[in-house]
Amino acid sequence: MTSRWWLPRRAVQTGTILLLASPVAGFTFFSGNLASAELAGVRLSDPLACLQAVIGSGVLIPSFLFGALLVTSGYFVFGGRSFCGWVCPVGFLTELGEKFSSKVRRGGRFLPLATGRYILAAVLVTVAATGVPLFEVLSPIGIMGRAIAFASLVPLLVPAAILLVEGVAAPRVWCRSLCPLGAFYAIIARFSPLKVGFHRERCTGCGDCVAVCPVPEVLEPLWDQGACRVCAGECTRCLACLDICPERALSVGFRFKKEPHSVTDVGRPIEKSAP
Amino acid sequence: MPKERDDSGISRRRFLKGGALAPLALALATAGGASVYLRPGEAHGFVLRPPGAIAARRFLAACVRCGKCAQACPYHAIRLQDRSVGIGTPYIAARQIPCYLCPDLPCVKACPSGALDPKTTEVEKVRMGTAQIVDREGCLSIRGLRCEVCYRQCPLIDQAITLEPRHNPRTGEHTIMEPVVHREKCVGCGVCENACVLPKPVIVVRETVEVQRDSYDF
Repeated sequence: MTSRWWLPRRAVQTGTILLLASPVAGFTFFSGNLASAELAGVRLSDPLACLQAVIGSGVLIPSFLFGALLVTSGYFVFGGRSFCGWVCPVGFLTELGEKFSSKVRRGGRFLPLATGRYILAAVLVTVAATGVPLFEVLSPIGIMGRAIAFASLVPLLVPAAILLVEGVAAPRVWCRSLCPLGAFYAIIARFSPLKVGFHRERCTGCGDCVAVCPVPEVLEPLWDQGACRVCAGECTRCLACLDICPERALSVGFRFKKEPHSVTDVGRPIEKSAP
Repeated sequence: MPKERDDSGISRRRFLKGGALAPLALALATAGGASVYLRPGEAHGFVLRPPGAIAARRFLAACVRCGKCAQACPYHAIRLQDRSVGIGTPYIAARQIPCYLCPDLPCVKACPSGALDPKTTEVEKVRMGTAQIVDREGCLSIRGLRCEVCYRQCPLIDQAITLEPRHNPRTGEHTIMEPVVHREKCVGCGVCENACVLPKPVIVVRETVEVQRDSYDF
C-alpha cells in the first residue's frame, strides 16, 4: 500500500473546496462554482448544466458553449469520470462519509451502474418538456458549491440525505448509480485515452483492488474476459487500485490503440463464464 | 481476484435490503428533503431578479445557479434563493439592499449563460420590475405630509417618480404632494422600496405589466 496517487488526489479534492471558498476570502482569481466558473479569466462550464440551460431556455451564448466544450475535452483527455474521483465535492464527501460506516467497506451494489444513464435521459427529457432544469435544481454538487461560497446551508439537506441513505442502506448509491453528471462523464470516459492497464503476469489474484475499488464492476472484465485494461466508462480513475496492489500489476497511462477484447458495457450483469 | 463471491442467487436478506429497504429509505429521504425545500412559496410569485434577467420561465432554465452575479455585485444586493424550484437563482431583496444599477453592469457581464441578457447595456432601459404604491391609505405623502422620501431617493428623480400636487380636501387649505410612478421610465431598481420610511413599505417593486388599468393615469 502506497499513497502515490492517494496524496495528489486528496490534494486536488481539497484544492477544489479551497477554490470554491476563495471568493469568500476576498481572492478574485476564481468565481462561480462547478456549474460555471471563471478561473484566471477563462470561462469554464459544466457541460450538463450548459445542455440543460440551452435546451430549457433556447438561449445560446457562444462563450458559454465554448467553456462547456473546454471542460468536456479536458475530462475526455483525463479520463471522464476523473471528475468524480478527483474534483467533485460530493464524491469527496461521500468518500469521507464511508470512513465512518464500517458496513460500507465492501462496496455494495444496490442499483446497476447503468441506472445513471436513464436518470440522465430523464433529466434531459424533463428540461425539454417543462423547462425545469431538474438536475440544476436538485444537484448536490451545486448545493455544496453554494453552501461553501454563499453559506446557504438549508439545501445541505440534500447531501445530508445522500450521506444518510448511503450510510444506512445503500453504500455509494448516489455516485455509482444515480448521479446524471457521473453518467454523462461515463459516456465520454469510455472513449478517453487515459486508462488503467493490467499486467496479468504480475497478478496473484489477491483481490485487494476489487475491495478498494468504488466501482468494482469495472475490474471484472480483467479476469472474466481477459481484458488487459479497464475500458469501462464508470472507472473514476481514482487509482486506489494502483496504490493498493502489492505486485504493481496495475498501471495508468494514455493508450490510444483499441484493445481487441474491449468490454465496455459493465452496466448489465456479466453472465457466469464456465469455470 | 476472488471468485467465491456468492451472488448467483438472491438471498432473502439481500432481497429485503436491496429490493425493499433501499428504495424505501431513498423515497423517505427524497420526500423529506423535498417537503422542506421544494416548498411552492417563491416559485409562482414575483421575484425581483438582477438587471437584464430574461422572462421568468426561461430564466429558471437558463440560470445555471453559479452565483457569479452575486459575487460580482459590489453592493452585495444579489442573494441566492435557497429553496423551491428557483433554488440557487439570484434575487434582490430591495428592502435590505436595492439594486444601484452600476453603469457597467458587472452582474450582467458575469453571467455565463445569458440568463441576464448580455445585450443589456443601458441602465435606463433595464426593466427589473415597476414600482407601485400598494397602500395609498398608508403613504404619508398621499395623506398630506411632506415625506417624499421615495421621490428624493429615486435615481431617476422627476422622471420615474414625480410629485403631483393637488388640493387636500381633508384640511381644505393644504396641498397633497402625491408621488406618482411613471412605468415607462421606472427601471424597478427598488431604491424607493428600500427608502420608504414606513415599517411596511407602501411603495414596492412589482412585476412590469404592459397594459395596466389604474384608477388614475397621468
